[in-house]
Amino acid sequence: MSDAQVRQDLMGASPQGRRRVRRSWPFPERIVLPILTPVVLLLIWQWAIGYFNVPPSLLPAPTVVFERLQETFPLLIGHAWPTTVESVLSFALATVFGVGLAILTVYWRLFAISMYPTIIFFQLIPKIALAPLFIVWLGIDMPSRLAFAVFISFFPVVIATETGLRSTPPDMLRLCTALTATGWQVFTSVRLPYAIPHIFSGMKIAVTFAIIGVIVGEFISAQKGLGYIIIFASSQADTALILAAIFLLCVIGLALFGLVALAERLARRRYGFA
Amino acid sequence: MPYISVNGVRKTYEGRQGPVEAVSSANFTVEAGEFVSILGPSGCGKSTVLMMLAALEKPSAGSIAIDGAPMTSPRRDVGLIFQDATLLPWLSVLDNVLFPVRIMKRDMAAHRAKALELLEMVGLKDFRDHRPAQLSGGMRQRAAICRALVHDPHLLLMDEPFSALDAITRDEMNLVLLNIWQKYHKTGIFITHSIREAVMLSDRVLVMTRRPSTIVSDITIPFSRPRDPDIGDSAEFNAICRTLRHQIEAGHRHEREAA
Repeated sequence: MSDAQVRQDLMGASPQGRRRVRRSWPFPERIVLPILTPVVLLLIWQWAIGYFNVPPSLLPAPTVVFERLQETFPLLIGHAWPTTVESVLSFALATVFGVGLAILTVYWRLFAISMYPTIIFFQLIPKIALAPLFIVWLGIDMPSRLAFAVFISFFPVVIATETGLRSTPPDMLRLCTALTATGWQVFTSVRLPYAIPHIFSGMKIAVTFAIIGVIVGEFISAQKGLGYIIIFASSQADTALILAAIFLLCVIGLALFGLVALAERLARRRYGFA
Repeated sequence: MPYISVNGVRKTYEGRQGPVEAVSSANFTVEAGEFVSILGPSGCGKSTVLMMLAALEKPSAGSIAIDGAPMTSPRRDVGLIFQDATLLPWLSVLDNVLFPVRIMKRDMAAHRAKALELLEMVGLKDFRDHRPAQLSGGMRQRAAICRALVHDPHLLLMDEPFSALDAITRDEMNLVLLNIWQKYHKTGIFITHSIREAVMLSDRVLVMTRRPSTIVSDITIPFSRPRDPDIGDSAEFNAICRTLRHQIEAGHRHEREAA
């Protein structure tokens, strides 16, 4: 009898033992493991800073970052606000703009043929490199950061919406034609609702891109915002402040992404896609 | 004058390797109130014939007339049923049934009663507020039948409506359709590749073959209505099925020899 067979027989003979392992795992593993990973990483980080004697200006320990976050919290919150507002605004604009562009490309063939190569071309150049141009054209205030963030984040919405608008089952469209539905009726009561899950997957990508766009804009022009704080702190070699600002950025990013994901779930349920 | 007349209809598509012939030649007529099945193997062009009857495809040659008028654009007095129920997932069963009424901007309140009557007839009244995803395949197809009937069309075009369902559900659906026919007196064209289904439901069966894709026979089914599903066990029923099967097999032989 081979080892594998023995093992198999043993497992077959004691289903109770197997079941106990299974029963005790699924619930905690879904909650504990995702939390455990960052906690372990933070502990390693904390331990390594002391062990290797890393100077705080190079990399401060997590506890130091946390202290700095507490000290500067009122200041950071004041700067987090414009970053959040601009991210939300540019995300909303990118969504409207992206959905609009997708509708044009789906419904207006000549527009698709003439515009598509240009739009794709702009996706291929590293868009970050164009940020200084936006400053030159639109100045150092909010409009230039918004324009840049929209520019950087609208494309996924276009692609996703376009896919969505083309995903209506062909028989559904045939039924509409047979019922002599108008183009507007087909669009509002069939094609657009069918595109909703796709639009949301584009929006989830756009929201993260919008934040990147705003931060890059703040790096090069702003007098406020978390991007500005990061640049300012790096000029002071205040690494702990940089990391504190980044931590806040992560919280904002997670919150915005979470809101879009929540909206998606509600919409999917409302539209029967869940 | 027949209610539907199909005269020398041909349909070719432009394929990558030249034109592809979907329908070589179709000639038939249907009287008002008749239920006619078009029976044939997959790929024989029977669905294309139906799409042309609905004016969703244009014939390459020949003409189709319904009620004396040439069929050039979709008519509102036609109801369509597809292989899949194609219900809108975000609407309740009732709202799906009322979809044609909404599109045609007819009186909602008046048609609501009609929709509920139809749903009751097919046994879905208690499910009117459910979403399609909460229903079984057979239930969804029943809702699709109600949707096809809600605006009271004269002609019902059915494109293999039950071929995606399991055999038991399919028999059930045949009963539902027989009952509807008894009650609403429509004219119907029914596409199928099931011989028994065609014989059970139809007044006439047209057999279609591949290459050439054309109608090779037109058989009248002698059973009176209302029909009892038990006629399926009778010798006469089985004899008709055998005749139809032989005709389809002859078509296959012919196709092999031609190839």
